[in-house]
Formats: sequence, structure tokens, C-alpha cells
Amino acid sequence: MRFMMLMIPKGYETAAPGTVPDAAAVAAMMKYNESLQKAGVLLALDGLHPPSTGARVTFPGGKPKVTDGPFAEAKEVLGGYWMIQVKSREEAIEWASRCPASENEIIEVRQVQEMSDFPPDVQEAAAGFAEMQMKSGHSQGA
Amino acid sequence: MKFMIIMKANKDTEAGVMPSEQTLTQMGNFNEELVNAGIMLAGEGLHPSSKGARVKFSGGQPAVTDGPFSETKELIAGFWMWEVKSKEEAIEWVKRIPNPDGTDFEVEIRQVFAAEDFGAEFTPEAREQEERLRERIASKQ
Repeated sequence: MRFMMLMIPKGYETAAPGTVPDAAAVAAMMKYNESLQKAGVLLALDGLHPPSTGARVTFPGGKPKVTDGPFAEAKEVLGGYWMIQVKSREEAIEWASRCPASENEIIEVRQVQEMSDFPPDVQEAAAGFAEMQMKSGHSQGA
Repeated sequence: MKFMIIMKANKDTEAGVMPSEQTLTQMGNFNEELVNAGIMLAGEGLHPSSKGARVKFSGGQPAVTDGPFSETKELIAGFWMWEVKSKEEAIEWVKRIPNPDGTDFEVEIRQVFAAEDFGAEFTPEAREQEERLRERIASKQ
């Protein structure tokens, strides 16, 4: 089963462009990242530049509307993520609990949809998606 | 430049409502265009937050809360990872996300940190460590 661990750092919604994480926090996080990798569960991980450098697109009336960051009304924003492959939701939560996160950080654990999770008619309509993922160099988890 | 293209949740995604067949087909064609353009790195959907959990860290003890989580518009329903030349190029592709049912959804575009974004505090040893980690992850894919 694949899960995303979504890092939600309180306050990142107002971080200025060019903000980088503090070196000591990064070192602790790298140790954690290595433990995930050594356990054979780590599939992917990334950090994200703050939303002040990003953009949002909505589609009111079907027409795209672009808004540049920062987003004043955002209460939470994503700071980064890990994708892991584990045997159960409990195991995913256990890994999230081991993250050297601070009191200002929340980790949201979310299960990734696999093709086999969908009813047959949806699988048929989405046929070719798995093949497309292979072509893009990414493979489906078990 | 690598970007995470985040599909924000709405009441339908949180309720596990399946997209229409037309949407799925058009989305499949869109994904194929992304692959053919050499942009697509990854794309995934997430199960609703009712299946998820949140971990908070206070006083050194992690505290787990089960979903669902009420601030729907802050939640994530899915994402792509794209390799493009600029944020503007990412925005142009996002504008073309198929929407045959005319729903209003929100997409957030966020640049992913790369080694070159960091200065001297990201030491040569740390860079090497990160590179080794990514190589090992890639060989698992």
C-alpha cells in the first residue's frame, strides 16, 4: 500500500521567497529520510518552495483564473512530502510519528489510490493510465 | 524546473465521488499529452481524508487524529510532478486541465526544491548524501 506523508508546517503560508529550512532541522530530517530508505519503504520525497513563489488556478464558469502567491486566506500549506510503500495504514502512521517534526508541524497521512481500488468501469475508462505511468518512468505500487 | 501541481480537494473528492467517464477519458488524453511532451514525472490520486490521519508533535509525544478533516479547501486530492522550463509553462498546462463537467476546482502550483536552490549551508557532504539517497530511491522505482 502506498501512502503520502504530507508535511504541513504552520507559518509556511507567509514564508518569503528564498526561505530555506534551517541546517540543523535538515540534518535531523536527512537522518529520518535515510532510515526510511534503509527500511526499504521510501519511494519519493521532495521539499517545496514557499507558496509566496507559487500560483493558484481556479476555473470559475469553466474559465481559468490565475492568482500568484502568497495566498492571504490560506491557513495551511504543504511544505513537502514523502511517498512510502508499507503493509498497512498503521505502519504508515508509525513512520509519520517517528518524523523529527517540530511542534509547529503536522504530518497528514493519506493513502494513494491504486487502479485496483476502483470499480471495473472506472478502471476501464482509465485504462492506459498505468501504461502511461510506466512511460513516464514511474511504476504502480503493490 | 520541477513543479508539484496540486489538485485541491472539494466535497466530491472528499465524498469519494468518481469523476464522469467523459472526465476520465479527457484526463487520460491530457496525461498522454503531458507524457508525449516529456513533462510528466508522476501523477497520483489520494483517497479521501476520511481514510487518513494527522500526526501532531507536542511535548515530544506524537498525537494521532483520524480523518476526515474539515477544512476541505486546504486538503489535497491528488497531484502531478512536472518538469518544465518555467512557472509560466506550468501555468499554461494547468489552464488546459480538462473540465467537461464545468466544475470549479483549485490547482496549486509549487516549485520543488533542487540542490542548486541551496547555498553554502548545504555542504558538499550533505549534497552527496542527498544525491546517494535519491539514487537509491530511483533504483527502487
